[in-house]
Amino acid sequence: MEYARFERIEADNLALLYSEAAKRFDDLPAFATRKSAQDWQPVTYKELYRQGLNLATGLIAYGVKARDHVGLFGDNRYEWILADYGVQLCGAADVPRGRDVSDAELKYIVGHAGITFCFAETKQLAIRLLKLQVELPALRHIVMLDPAAELPEGVLRLQDIYRKGEELRNQGDREAEERIAGIRPDDLFTLIYTSGTTGTPKGVMLTHANMMSQIRNLPGHHNCTDRTLSVLPIWHVFERIIEMYTISFGGCTYYSGIITLSEDMQNVEPTFMASAPRLWEKIHEKILANIKKAHPVRRLLFKIAYFLAKQYKNSEYFIKNKDLKLKRQPAWKRWLLMPLHVLRWIVVLPWYGFFNAAVLERIRLGAGGSLAATISGGGALPIHIDKFFNYVGIPVLEGYGLTETSPVISVRPKLNLVVGTVGPPIKETELRIVDPETGETLFPDPACTAGGRGKRGEILVRGPQVMKGYYKEKNLTESAIRDGWFHTGDLGMMTHNDCLKILGRHKATIVLSSGENIEPEPMEMHLQQSKYIDQCMVVGQDKKFLGLLVVLNGCEFVKNGIKHRSLQELVQIPEARELMKKEIRRLISPATGFKNYERIGDFRLLPEKFEVGHELTNLFKIKRHIVTEKYSDLIDHIYSNHSPKK
Amino acid sequence: MEFPSQLLYAQDQILLALMIFIIMLGMGASLTVDDFRAVARSPKGVLTGFLSQFGLMPLIALGLAIILKLHPAFAISLILIGCLPGGTTSNMFTYFSRGSVALSISMTTASTVMALFMMPIILSLYTVEFTSQLTADMRAGGAETEFVIPTGNIISSLVLVLVPVIMGMILRKKSPGWAKTMEDTAGFLAVIVILYLILTAFVRHGGLFLQTPVTVYIATIGLGMAGFFFGYWFSRLIGMKPIFQRAISLETGIQNGPVSFAIILLSFNEPVQSQMLWLAILYSTFIVMTSSGITMYFRKHGKFDWDIYKNTQIHNRLFGNDFVTKYPPGFLPARLINDPSQGTQPAQKR
Repeated sequence: MEYARFERIEADNLALLYSEAAKRFDDLPAFATRKSAQDWQPVTYKELYRQGLNLATGLIAYGVKARDHVGLFGDNRYEWILADYGVQLCGAADVPRGRDVSDAELKYIVGHAGITFCFAETKQLAIRLLKLQVELPALRHIVMLDPAAELPEGVLRLQDIYRKGEELRNQGDREAEERIAGIRPDDLFTLIYTSGTTGTPKGVMLTHANMMSQIRNLPGHHNCTDRTLSVLPIWHVFERIIEMYTISFGGCTYYSGIITLSEDMQNVEPTFMASAPRLWEKIHEKILANIKKAHPVRRLLFKIAYFLAKQYKNSEYFIKNKDLKLKRQPAWKRWLLMPLHVLRWIVVLPWYGFFNAAVLERIRLGAGGSLAATISGGGALPIHIDKFFNYVGIPVLEGYGLTETSPVISVRPKLNLVVGTVGPPIKETELRIVDPETGETLFPDPACTAGGRGKRGEILVRGPQVMKGYYKEKNLTESAIRDGWFHTGDLGMMTHNDCLKILGRHKATIVLSSGENIEPEPMEMHLQQSKYIDQCMVVGQDKKFLGLLVVLNGCEFVKNGIKHRSLQELVQIPEARELMKKEIRRLISPATGFKNYERIGDFRLLPEKFEVGHELTNLFKIKRHIVTEKYSDLIDHIYSNHSPKK
Repeated sequence: MEFPSQLLYAQDQILLALMIFIIMLGMGASLTVDDFRAVARSPKGVLTGFLSQFGLMPLIALGLAIILKLHPAFAISLILIGCLPGGTTSNMFTYFSRGSVALSISMTTASTVMALFMMPIILSLYTVEFTSQLTADMRAGGAETEFVIPTGNIISSLVLVLVPVIMGMILRKKSPGWAKTMEDTAGFLAVIVILYLILTAFVRHGGLFLQTPVTVYIATIGLGMAGFFFGYWFSRLIGMKPIFQRAISLETGIQNGPVSFAIILLSFNEPVQSQMLWLAILYSTFIVMTSSGITMYFRKHGKFDWDIYKNTQIHNRLFGNDFVTKYPPGFLPARLINDPSQGTQPAQKR
């Protein structure tokens, strides 16, 4: 391609990326802020860099040293990225967190990261930090980002720092340039505290080299005509990498929000965006609702179109060897089925062509129509949503990664679209599937048939995106990264066409589709206090609410007058269920210290106890993946009706 | 050549008439009064389109008929198709080929109205040779009549065809929701009916495909392809924007097939009617395939132009008309830097 040299900038660190982007993309818009639906305020690459240098000089004047940790608390807005420019250009690293951070977390983060200088987006956030300052004497400066809000006493405005820096630069101060030259690839650009899984948050140290490897290795072809819509929180490393990647190819990032998303999608017509499963679930619901409301003829046309698209795409996936291959398939079977798929493809093609143009295009227009790709990350995309969008022709590419891997490990590229997987690992990245109990390598294993594909185990990853470690947590770091291999704690397998399929978590943490992290074990301990509960397991990975599997304690029910001969019989008795319902509600409620999202939405009674060697380890710990597999029908049943039972 | 004297049975004719009605209704449902006003706003584009639709296309048809030495009935049908107005199909293909849909719609509306005057004139001019041939054939067969182009009937069938278009426009005004449904249904129906006609022709007159001279296939496929080719280069040479080049190319090649069915059924009689209809059916079938191919080519070929055009347009929409998008030096190829049309606003002209 003759324009290939405009595809992306490769630099050694973020500061150099910013300066190179200013040189190369000059007057092109870099970021745009919404004022109203059709009125946006752009800022160009050159201007952003100039402002960034001024701010950096101001930060230096206020005592921010190279490699300092600067707090950056707030959500997506132009001032956030400006603050980030300032921090990077003075050689420091930022510690980001969203507005929804709790006081306890804030206190922990500021203390643990040794923050002396921090940005707070809003007035409220600034006031909260002011109150905490009493307990955190090291915190010297709080700077408010919002230029419109009233300034609390003891807080600085961003403009104050900026003007100071501007003045100094006008006098010829060039310390920022020296700082930039002093950045080493191994220096941190950010320190991200992951929301507490086991009590205290962990500070993930990500280096310039981590970030630059991501920019280099993300698959896709973009250039400065691309438009990126920003809707996920910027302090998540996933959204951040997408914005940095956008800078590297000279695209413009448009700040949207959940409320204005569908409007912005149509006005901005984004070509690229970072998205999360919940977002697509919402859009899916909306599309279906619109179809339901539509004229019966149109509804019928949509149904025909969707049906044809399904037939067409499934045959296409098969022909191109892009169908989901969890099991090994003999070659003859493929060749036997091939003519049938080719025939179906040819027969459906003209019809699909027509309906695709007349009906499905209108659905795509709802997403702006220009969307060339969107990477979905931050949780598993439900398979029916995944299929829906890919049949309709909105390329939702599922990716996989963790904050610790900055974050992308693998992503489904457009040309290698195997629905149901997270694609092959990106460049420079090695994967291993390891037996979680024995530590034995299952993939790649040349001795094994198919090289170990199709075997499930814990995913290990090695590559330039793996974090430097957890800040001030040597033990944790050593247990997570062994011999350069990062242990993700997720279960997965390699499919027979070399794509990674995620099968759940080995670590017990449950991530709801809303993104809330829940540690099930403490909850289970709490529930087992009940005399009626023998054993129980909390479920709900990637779901909207938590569910519970319960093994009842039969004796207590007999004492309560509910007679039965066996557990199987007991679970059929309505009174037992009713009693259990009350018990769960009594135990898990805001009154007992549980958060709203930790509420148990629904539960199922199990007909058998958990046994050692089957569902339990020798230490009586639940083998979650075994239970999940065994009772997958019951779990599916919990979530088959969409809303939780009251 | 022995041609089946009755290509269509009575029920097919009713079906065809119904299809024409619904398709034209669908076409009307996609139009608004504003589209007619838009014609006045982009006179250059519409004029170019007019020249290529009523200048180039009939000439191409005439040329093909002469070079391929077509039977007079086929020749007349080919020329008739050559001077038809555009239909809504071309708007859809233009959309997918990243061309200017607005121009395509303007051209469709303008040519539909203009066809009332242009068709009879062009048809009587270009078909003199073929009508005299037909007359000679008929005289040799012992008939005393003379074959003339039924100009009056053609105009009245065109007017008749415009009735559902106007009904469609009224529907659009009264109930946009229904109009949308109508549009989709019409498109779907067109595909169904054309396939039905082809299939029944295949079943009833299996030999027809073999009997049809190769030259007829060449003519029906070639007419559309030549229309795309000349329409593209004509508009490119007189300096239209890339997005307009693609629209004019497709609009020139794609003709309103259903209108030709209506005219042939209402204005012509046997022994030429069946042959004329057969050619029209063949054209309608092949044009869907060739324009799909051309659309895919344009779509790929025009992606870079389109991305730049679109991005510039969105910048103006969101950042105001004064915003000038400056791409880095060397990013735009010479053909786009020198093209004053890449932006939508005066400020965008480089």
